[in-house]
Amino acid sequence: MTDFPDPLPWLIVLPLLWGTLAFLLGPGRGGRLAIAAIALQGVLALQLAGQLLDDGSRVYAVGGWGAPLGIDLMADGLAAVMLLLTQAVALPLAVFARGYFAASPKGRELFWPLTGFLLAALNALFVSADLFNIYVTLELLGLAAVGLVAIAGGRQPVTAAMRYLFATLLGSGAYLLGVALIYGSYGSVSLAVLTPLLTSEAPLAVTLAAALILTGLLLKTALFPFHFWLPPAHGGAPAPVSALLSALVIKASFYLVLRLWLELFAPLATVAAAQLIGALGAAAILWGSWLALTQTRLKMLVAYSTVAQVGYLFLLFPLATLVPLGAADSAVQGGVMQAVAHGLAKAAMFAAAGSMIVATGRDDIGRLGGVGARLPLTLFSFGLAGVTLMGLPPSGGFSAKWLLLMAALESGQWWWVAVMIAGGLLTAAYVFKVLRRAFLPVAEGDRVTRVPRTLEFSAFALALAAILLGLFGAPLLELLAVGRAA
Amino acid sequence: MKAWLTALTVLLCSGLALALGGAMLALPEFAVRLPAQVTANLDTSGVSHPVTAVLLNFRGYDTLLEVAVLLLALLGVFALSRHADEHAPRATPAHPVLQTLARLLAPLMVLVAGYLLWVGAHAPGGAFQAGAVLAAAGVLLRLAGLLPAWAQPGRLLRGGLALGLLVFLAVAVAGLPQGSLLHYPVSMAGALILLVEAGLTLSIGLTLAGLYLASAGAKR
Repeated sequence: MTDFPDPLPWLIVLPLLWGTLAFLLGPGRGGRLAIAAIALQGVLALQLAGQLLDDGSRVYAVGGWGAPLGIDLMADGLAAVMLLLTQAVALPLAVFARGYFAASPKGRELFWPLTGFLLAALNALFVSADLFNIYVTLELLGLAAVGLVAIAGGRQPVTAAMRYLFATLLGSGAYLLGVALIYGSYGSVSLAVLTPLLTSEAPLAVTLAAALILTGLLLKTALFPFHFWLPPAHGGAPAPVSALLSALVIKASFYLVLRLWLELFAPLATVAAAQLIGALGAAAILWGSWLALTQTRLKMLVAYSTVAQVGYLFLLFPLATLVPLGAADSAVQGGVMQAVAHGLAKAAMFAAAGSMIVATGRDDIGRLGGVGARLPLTLFSFGLAGVTLMGLPPSGGFSAKWLLLMAALESGQWWWVAVMIAGGLLTAAYVFKVLRRAFLPVAEGDRVTRVPRTLEFSAFALALAAILLGLFGAPLLELLAVGRAA
Repeated sequence: MKAWLTALTVLLCSGLALALGGAMLALPEFAVRLPAQVTANLDTSGVSHPVTAVLLNFRGYDTLLEVAVLLLALLGVFALSRHADEHAPRATPAHPVLQTLARLLAPLMVLVAGYLLWVGAHAPGGAFQAGAVLAAAGVLLRLAGLLPAWAQPGRLLRGGLALGLLVFLAVAVAGLPQGSLLHYPVSMAGALILLVEAGLTLSIGLTLAGLYLASAGAKR
């Protein structure tokens, strides 16, 4: 062992521990504990990233048994990038949530324990190297997310939570069916054991299993046409919850699709399947952006923007499948960069939207007048996040879309370029729709109150991080390369 | 439109069923023989029942996360039942025969739970079965009107609900200096598994009972 304490197991144990302690402390308690613990998790994630950069990817045998008898954890560059993103988004959001629930206490009773379990599930999922263990982490993640959607109570959030529950359970069910078929074919669920077996022989059952697993995960990622559950769930929850769900939870199932597609199911990947996934992504970009433009509620607009931005993530599949190596590399880099940039920017955007709703007392784009004058920092954060989503330089979104563009041109698939440009224009349209309203003076009879400084600064920190990612993205790409066959 | 959708669903489901059936007929021989590995390592697992060895030792990490899932399910019920409507069924006035029966059965059920917990080391049984029996006792007492519903669990109850997970986490972390998370020294494996299972029995019993007690008649 290189360091003590070893960051890998503690990244899973720590959030489980503080989540349980927050539950013990009682309703609404545990915010300060959570912030301290998430900061510690951030240090652990950085420490792990440093280990990986020095020594390459690592395998960790839980219980000392080793696969296939026991469960292995595996941390490579991709996992480390996702771990860093998770802690980097969670820390400002925890600060934001403390201020938000002080100003608007609806739903604060169970927020901290549920968030602890949610982060534990995310961290465990990113480092799991066992198909069944991944299913357990998906369950933990799904139930925590559904619980968070329901905490505000009321007819609409609870309906949205139930719909989300059914969607996520259907996705988990399809995934589990696939895992059962794979276990039935080979007798193991360890990724490291399965990968060579699948390369040498893949019976029909395994092709079916791959289709079931990927479809289940696409449903959980809310890729078009499976996006129906996302806007009510993300748009109806309290703002810190919406931010966690949009920034992190859907990225977890995307991460699994990416990892399985590139590694375990690589022998089964076909150009036709990749083009189909890319086409769904393109449809998501156009349809989601268009619907975002037609919304009248601020949080629904941001939620539909998530539907659209998820589409960009899936453009990487046609660009990385059976194409020249250079193109495939920059496609994967672009896709992961998009996941990180969108995570930071969307968290900032939901946080800023939450502050505006607290300040105006309603969730209505038409009544945002005066926000520009009273909450300039919040509006600035919203705008910066919008710059990232549009993909303007120098943001992280620009780097992501640039890498994807390069991949598209190198592999001769110009049609994806057209989709990306159209999506960027539509994004600009819906971001400016909000900004234009917010710069108007206060309407007759409306009031815009101030909000606590922590709300404004935490949103700004997230938005700034999304921009800085574009300027200092190189170390992240270096980390991503750890453990990937060059 | 509706008929179209139904027809499409039926078509997709039957297609999937056919494909699954076809795939099942053509399954290859297992390349990895896990049952043999479980048997070979049973001696060092601390228990002699293979299911318990897999659940609490070889794949104990899955179980650790599953215990968190159970607690999470209860938190979800709390989230919903705080806003439960007034239409929730009220506790019916208890029937004296049912009450007497419940008073007689509940101690027996606790005894059975204790036995199941103990026997899990070498025969079918263990924390989940024992917890389920405890939970059944709780539901029975509630039905007989001898236990109040949980509007808002107090500190003691929260402690009981979290105990299993906390004990499991403590044992998992205690393995870290030995080499890895959840690493049990061979000589202590049996005792540690029993300790974890004892904590889990209580918490699983309370959690499963809570799924009923927190949702049924939260308004008293």
